[in-house]
Amino acid sequence: MKIKVKYYASFRDMTGKNEEVLEVKDGITVKGIRDHVRGIYEKIAQKEQVLVAVNGTFTQLDEVIKEGDDVAFFPPVSGG
Amino acid sequence: MDNVIKVQREDFNADDLLNKVKSPPSGCVVCFIGTVRDHSKGREISRMSIEVYEEMAVKQLEMIREETIEKFGVNDIIIVHRYGDLNVEDNIVFIGVAAGHRPEGFDACRHVIEELKVRVPLWKKEYTTDGEVWVEGDRHE
Repeated sequence: MKIKVKYYASFRDMTGKNEEVLEVKDGITVKGIRDHVRGIYEKIAQKEQVLVAVNGTFTQLDEVIKEGDDVAFFPPVSGG
Repeated sequence: MDNVIKVQREDFNADDLLNKVKSPPSGCVVCFIGTVRDHSKGREISRMSIEVYEEMAVKQLEMIREETIEKFGVNDIIIVHRYGDLNVEDNIVFIGVAAGHRPEGFDACRHVIEELKVRVPLWKKEYTTDGEVWVEGDRHE
């Protein structure tokens, strides 16, 4: 299935993209898609903290991603 | 209540927000305003830009507000966070808590800013004498 992922802050710089569509296997989990992205981008693979949000919420690593979900990758936040 | 959570590019007026959050049953308003500092980790900072994942940021701030009102029993909370290009001394964030008494007011205000710093998708980029630096927090997976 196809999943659209977005990148924010330093991750956008590392990927050179605001967003892209990834072809992943059905039933992929949050951890699975994180590993997939780490496999594409060496600089993200080197980061200790890779946060993933699904539909604007932090989720468990074993949550299954569904087609149409809004998946976002970003480093630890630093507002305030 | 409308407009209790805002993520916006423009500056805010703290007096207006304080007047908006206070209410007859509240004996105090505790306020936190974050501003742009001119240094960080030994480096001079000339300016800052803040990026936001706006849809998620608003959702997270609404959750933090509701959780904090419930946990500390305060009357109301207004949170405004800015994004975009900012200069030294510019306002970054406003948190105003109206409470019956000061203990829960201070505790609730502290809780909001600490949660914001680990849960709300906003990122600072500092422009330093050594170049541009993304600031990253310390949330663990």
